[in-house]
Amino acid sequence: MTYWLLTFARRGSASYLSHLDTARAWRRTFARAGIDLVLSEGLRPKPRLALGLPLPVGAAAEDELLVAEVPDLAPEPEVALPTLAAAAAPGLEPLAVLAVAERPRPQAVAADYEFGLAADEGAVAAALQWFSAAQSTPVERVSPKGRRIVDLKEFVTDTWCRAAQDGVCVGFTVRHRSTGAARPQEFVSLVADQAGVEAVARHLLRRRVVYTGLPAGFAGGP
Amino acid sequence: MDSSHEGWLPDELGDLLARVTRPGRYVGGEFNLRRKPGASPRIVLSYPDAYEIGISNPGLQILYTYLNDATAASAERAYCPWPDMAELMRHHGVALWTLESFAPVAACDLWGIHLPHELTYTNVLELLDLAGVPLHAGERGEGDPIVLGGGPGSANPWPLSPFLDAVFVGEVEGRLDAIVAALGASSRAARLQLLAAVPGVWLPAAPERRARRQVFMGFSHTMPVTEPVVPVLEAVHDRAVVEVMRGCTAGCRFCQAGMWYRPVRERPVELVVEAACEALRTTGCDEVSLISLSSCDYSGIEEAVRRIRALRPGVRVSLPSLRIDSAAVTLARLGSEQRGSVTLAPEAGTQELRDAINKGVDDEQFATAVRATFEAGFTGLKLYFMIGLPGEDDAAVAAIADMATAAASAARAIAHGRARVSVAVSSYVPKAHTPFETAAFAGEEVLRRRQTLLRDLMPRGVRISCHDVGASVVEAALARGGPRSGELIEAAWRRGARFDGWTEWFDVELWRAAATDVGVELNALACAAPSQPLPWQSVDAGFEEGFLTLEAGRAASRQRTDDCRRGRCGACGVCHDDVSMDLVG
Ligand code: SF4
Repeated sequence: MTYWLLTFARRGSASYLSHLDTARAWRRTFARAGIDLVLSEGLRPKPRLALGLPLPVGAAAEDELLVAEVPDLAPEPEVALPTLAAAAAPGLEPLAVLAVAERPRPQAVAADYEFGLAADEGAVAAALQWFSAAQSTPVERVSPKGRRIVDLKEFVTDTWCRAAQDGVCVGFTVRHRSTGAARPQEFVSLVADQAGVEAVARHLLRRRVVYTGLPAGFAGGP
Repeated sequence: MDSSHEGWLPDELGDLLARVTRPGRYVGGEFNLRRKPGASPRIVLSYPDAYEIGISNPGLQILYTYLNDATAASAERAYCPWPDMAELMRHHGVALWTLESFAPVAACDLWGIHLPHELTYTNVLELLDLAGVPLHAGERGEGDPIVLGGGPGSANPWPLSPFLDAVFVGEVEGRLDAIVAALGASSRAARLQLLAAVPGVWLPAAPERRARRQVFMGFSHTMPVTEPVVPVLEAVHDRAVVEVMRGCTAGCRFCQAGMWYRPVRERPVELVVEAACEALRTTGCDEVSLISLSSCDYSGIEEAVRRIRALRPGVRVSLPSLRIDSAAVTLARLGSEQRGSVTLAPEAGTQELRDAINKGVDDEQFATAVRATFEAGFTGLKLYFMIGLPGEDDAAVAAIADMATAAASAARAIAHGRARVSVAVSSYVPKAHTPFETAAFAGEEVLRRRQTLLRDLMPRGVRISCHDVGASVVEAALARGGPRSGELIEAAWRRGARFDGWTEWFDVELWRAAATDVGVELNALACAAPSQPLPWQSVDAGFEEGFLTLEAGRAASRQRTDDCRRGRCGACGVCHDDVSMDLVG
C-alpha cells in the first residue's frame, strides 16, 4: 500500500463546492484517470481518499492537501499527475504528488486567508485596529449541535489590509488549537460589522495551510 | 486579491452567490461541460426545476451533446434558480445567466425549454421573467430569443402556448440540424418561418397547422450519450445511464409515455455495452443504469447486464423497476448483485381494474414476485398504486390494502422481520393522447376520502405515502387545458407559485386564488370534461382515428389488449411508411 500526498488548487466554479462535494469530485477524477484507489472494508466499500482542512463553500485555495491510498501497482506520481490533471473537474488543479509508505496523519495548525470587502480602506483599517486592541471578541456560533460562544481573539492573528481595485483586501491567519478554530466567515462578519458594510466576502481565498504530521520538507509542512 | 477569480465570474454574480444556499447550482464546472465561445447560433437549454433535478435529465443531455459536438451551434444551460437566488436577482437587477459562459440567457438565439410535467409550468414563467425575456410570445421583438418548448408537455402544448414561440412535438434528435439551420435566417420572423417548416414544429401563433409527433428512427443505430455532463454537486442520480430502448407497447391505458413514445425501438447489445464502457470511463461512475420506459422488456437485457458487469470488477448495473409477470425470473437471473429494495407496480388493487387499465398482472403473479423478492434477500419492497382510476370504487381501493397485507405477511414469513414493505400511492390524472383522455378526473373530495380509507386499512408496519391531492388537482386542471389555461398558470405565478412539484413550496391555496382571479373554481376546472374538439388535436400523435376510443371501450368492458411486440399488432396506426418497430435480433 502507498499513500499519496496530493496538493491542489481550487479555483473558479470549484470554489463553490462543499467539502464532501470536493472529495467526491476527486474520487471521480481518480476513476476517470483510471487510477484505482484502495477500498475501505465493510458492506459498502468506499475509495480511501481524504481531504485536509475543510474549505468554506465559496473559497478558492492555492495549496490544499489530499491523502489517497493507492495500490502498490499504481503509476509513478510523475506519470499520474498529468493524467489526473486531464481528468479533473474544471477548477480543480493537481499541483504535486508525493508517494510515502507510512500513513500520514496531517493536523492543521494554521491557515492564511484573504478576502475583499466593498468598503472604505480607512474604515476597514480602523476595524482591524479595534480587533488588535480588543481583549476578547466573542461571537455566537450557531450549528446543528446548538449555540456556543467563540472568542475570535483566541484564534485569529496577523491581520492586515490594503486598498484593492473595488474596495479593500483583508488578510488574516486562523490558528487551529486543541480548543478549536475560528471560521473564516466569522472574522469576515466581524470586520464588516465594524466597518459598517454588508458581510459579503469577495474572492475569499485560502493561500496556505500549515500542517503537522507530514514528511519533513513537504510543501504543506511547518 | 485572488487573481484566480479574475475574469471568471462577474463580481455582481459573485456577490449573489455569497448569499444563497448551494451556490454551486449556478456556476457549472461539471465534468464534460462544453464551452464553445463565439459559436453561432447560441442555444440555451433549460429544465424548469432546480439544478440537481434538471442535470439528471437524459433528454437534455442528448440535445446538449449533439448540438455542441455535431453542429456549429453552442448549447449552454440554465436551470430554474431557487427562490432565495431569484429574490436576490430581482433585487439587484441581475438577469439569468448560463452555466457555460455566464452570459445572459436573453442574448441567445434559441431558448429550448424542456416541459416535463404540469407542476413545472410556473417555473417556465419564472425562467422567462428572471431572464428578462417578455413573458408573452406576442410581446417579443427582434432582439429576443425564440422560445421553443419540447418534451412530454408537447402532447398538449396549449397551457404554455401564450409564453412559447414554438413547440417541438415528439423526439427532436432527427431534426436538430434543421433547427440549427433555421436559426441562420436574418430576422426573427424569418427564423420562425423556417422553424415552422421543420417537421414536428407547432406555432401557437398558427395553431390550425397541426404538428405531427416525430419519431426518431435513427435510435437503434445511434450511439447513446457517452460523455454526459457530470455534476460535481450531489445530484438525484449518481450513475452513468445508457438508454437501451425507446417506446413501450405494453399498452397500459393510463400511461401517456407508453402511448406517446410508440413504437418500440431497441439498441443492439453491442452498442449498449460499448456505450456503457465509455460512459463509465468518462463519468468516473461505478454504476450504470440501463434506462427506458420498461427496461426489463428490452430483448437484450440479460446479455447486456452480464457483459457490462464483466467489463471490470465492481461495476454495478442497476435494475429498473421490474415487470411483475416476469419478476421472479428476472430476479433469479440478474438480481444476484442487487441490494436494497425492489419496486413493483401493480397500479390497481383488483383484477377487474387491472384489466381495465391493461396492466397484465394477476394475483398469482404478484404473489410469486413478492416471494421471489424476499427469497433473493432484498430488504425492501416498494409497491406503487394509483387511486382515482376510471371505474374505481372504494372496494378496489380496499383491495390495495389487501395486497400490501399479503406482501407484509410474505416479508415476515420469508425474511423474518428483516424486510420492509412500503406503499406509494399517486392520484390518477387523465392525460392527452391516452385511451382515458376524456375520462373524468376523480376530484379532490373522492381522492381525499380514498386516501383516508387506504391509510385506515393499511396494516401496521407498512409505510404508506400518498401524493398531495392538491398537486394532483392542479395537474388535472392543466393537463387537458385549452387556450385559456395559460391565464391560470400566469395568475398562479403572479401570486407566487413556484416549484409546485416540491412539497415545501407547493401551496394549493395560491392556485385556488389564481383560479378565482381568472373566474373559475380550481377543482371544478380539474373535473370538467375537456372542451370539444379536444384542444390537443393540434398535435397529431400518429394514432389511427378511433384507436383511443376503441381502447377506452375495451377498458369499460375489462378487455385486455396484447403487447404488440409479443402478440398481435393492435393497429394503433403509429407504424407506417418509415416508422416501425425496431427490435434486437
Ligand atoms: S401499429 Fe401495431 S405494431 Fe406498431 S406500435 Fe401500433 S400496435 Fe404496435
